[in-house]
Amino acid sequence: MRIASLIIAAACALASIAATAQTKVTLWSHWAAEKIKRDFVEDAIRRFEAANPGVKIEAQWYEKTALYAALKTALRAGTAPDIFYAEPDQTEYMENNLLLDLSSLNWGGIEPWAKEIWSHKGKPYGLPLEAWTVELFYNKKLLADLGIKVPSSMQLDAAAMTDLVKKARVRNQTPMALGAGDRPFPGAHLTHEALLKRLGVADYDNLLTGKLSWSDARVVDTLRTLRSWIDAGLLPTTFTTLKLGESHSYFHTNPGAVLFLNGSWYTSRAFNPPDKGGQPPNFPLGIMKYPAMPQAVCNECRTISVGGSFVVNAETKNGRQAIAFLNSMATPETASRWLENVLVQTGIKADYSKVGGPHAGYFKELAATSQGARYYFGIPIQKMQGKQKEVFTQVFNNAFPAGTISVDDAVKQMNAAYAK
Amino acid sequence: MQRNPIDRQPWGAISAFLLPALTIYTAFTAYPVLRTIWNSFHRVLPRKEEFVGLANYAALAKDDLFWRAVGNTFIWACASPLAEVGIALFLALALYARVPGMRFFRIAWFTPVLMSYVVVGIIWVWIYNYDWGAANAILRTLGLERWAAAWIGDPKLALPSLIFITTWMWSGFNMVVLLAALHSLPSEVIEAAELDNCGWGAKLWHIIIPLIKPTLLNLLVLSFIGKMKIFDLVWITTKGGPLWSTETVSTYLYKRAFEWSTFDLGYPSTIAAVWFVIVLLAVLGLTRALRSREKLEY
Repeated sequence: MRIASLIIAAACALASIAATAQTKVTLWSHWAAEKIKRDFVEDAIRRFEAANPGVKIEAQWYEKTALYAALKTALRAGTAPDIFYAEPDQTEYMENNLLLDLSSLNWGGIEPWAKEIWSHKGKPYGLPLEAWTVELFYNKKLLADLGIKVPSSMQLDAAAMTDLVKKARVRNQTPMALGAGDRPFPGAHLTHEALLKRLGVADYDNLLTGKLSWSDARVVDTLRTLRSWIDAGLLPTTFTTLKLGESHSYFHTNPGAVLFLNGSWYTSRAFNPPDKGGQPPNFPLGIMKYPAMPQAVCNECRTISVGGSFVVNAETKNGRQAIAFLNSMATPETASRWLENVLVQTGIKADYSKVGGPHAGYFKELAATSQGARYYFGIPIQKMQGKQKEVFTQVFNNAFPAGTISVDDAVKQMNAAYAK
Repeated sequence: MQRNPIDRQPWGAISAFLLPALTIYTAFTAYPVLRTIWNSFHRVLPRKEEFVGLANYAALAKDDLFWRAVGNTFIWACASPLAEVGIALFLALALYARVPGMRFFRIAWFTPVLMSYVVVGIIWVWIYNYDWGAANAILRTLGLERWAAAWIGDPKLALPSLIFITTWMWSGFNMVVLLAALHSLPSEVIEAAELDNCGWGAKLWHIIIPLIKPTLLNLLVLSFIGKMKIFDLVWITTKGGPLWSTETVSTYLYKRAFEWSTFDLGYPSTIAAVWFVIVLLAVLGLTRALRSREKLEY
């Protein structure tokens, strides 16, 4: 009798263990300090766990630099999480076979261009959650005060831009807020958008991949136009040390600037309350296209890039569950939630016209700037590697916009970086 | 013939005392150094290691960014010790001569070294801010507007501006060490000089400096080594820019290891190995060159 009851008790215990056994999927992500994005991912985790009671996703949040350093060590040591945050320029992950091929993901729910950005040697590797375009924001009031009207094309020409810079400087205003103090890319937006328009997608790609010389007359001409704006005082005097976060408040609050060239993720900071770094209430925010360049091949060309994404560790034992989680995010509903809450574009297919909420008007204006656009995928540092990337960052993110290197020297530096 | 048990070496006790220290030294110093040298002959990727012989060394010899970083680091490591120790000696002499407010000055001059490079870096980025930083504000107040500059944004000014920060930071520390050396000088020698009507300048040059020369030498060498390894201040303020004007070997090594979108640890190990040898030779050379040939007697 006693033995029988012991057997029954053991069987019950085993059954309860089996019932509560869960597959634990680990996830490491950037955005520790970006509450809106973190809330979005945590909400996606809750929804997934509710629909999949046998799976528990354990998330750890980092800031980007700390995350990348931790991943480099963990991937070598075989202790990396099942899913982690990555961006498509991190080709070293793919080249070293550290990521799981995500061909089995539901790609029907994802924009084809976003899939292309995440593809390496024909295989896709990342869920492109965050996408962004380079936008030229402006303060409608300051621009009107200068007597400048944005044309119906939403695009100034180079002469009008020169006029804007000069008029702003006469009024002791900074024409364009931009800072390269803590990031390797914001200062370079000025140059790469201009070069893309002047050269068109094919030749611009040739330039970035070393098939077209930086001494090409069209490149030099474009750089000279930019240099004339820079010399006229386009950027803040603190440009080289101004941090990205500071450049936001430089534009909308103190001291204020007419224009702000930034990723479309501007709004994920600016639409916060002012005490959390957001723009003042009723700030007259406008968006226009980057100025048309003289003799441009493609003034409608612009850069679109994929930012924060999730990838799966090639060594994971929970690949099926990890892919299921990523699939749970690759839906139009998730995309709408992302747009309404995070206020940045996404690589997941979404209907922008259906975005509601208090910022619906903003999305309409954002969509208008992209009307008829031809896209180039990725900013230059996502295309470059090693020395080219380092030289491009030093020259075009920093020294050239700061006016501390001449056009000729900038061209020389870039040609040397590509020399075999 | 049997040995006296007292003469026998107590190997058990020796091992027991040496083993912990040897284990720690082997694990945390010897192995990493040897592993770095080993890596420098390989391409070290996750789960893959490939012998490349001297290829990394050959590439390093042609790496203009590395040599630029070497140049900047040597400028820093040569200029800083002279400035720091020179200023520190002046300050220590002022305190030794009991200037009014010496207690306050001793604390005030020593305080910067108590802060980490990260805090110091952030403070000085503010001080050097073109629009509202203290440096330019003072110049504008003095009517020297034309001297206002983007101190760490201009390739010509960035390195001297950072050297100024380390000089500001470390002069106080050197001052305290030199002050201790001055206070330990034999009073009879100083008094004898005073009885011979020896002036301040002559006393300083012929008596004080020779007597504190070992301390000066140690401070120069320590400062030199510290600047050869400098990383954190540069990383916080300029990240090696603009245009590599403040790139040091340490920042370049870090970039190559963690920011050049490659997992390869072989090339960064080569930089580390070569730099280790350069620093070692430089320190040996410096010590030999500055070593006193005659022992002072007093």
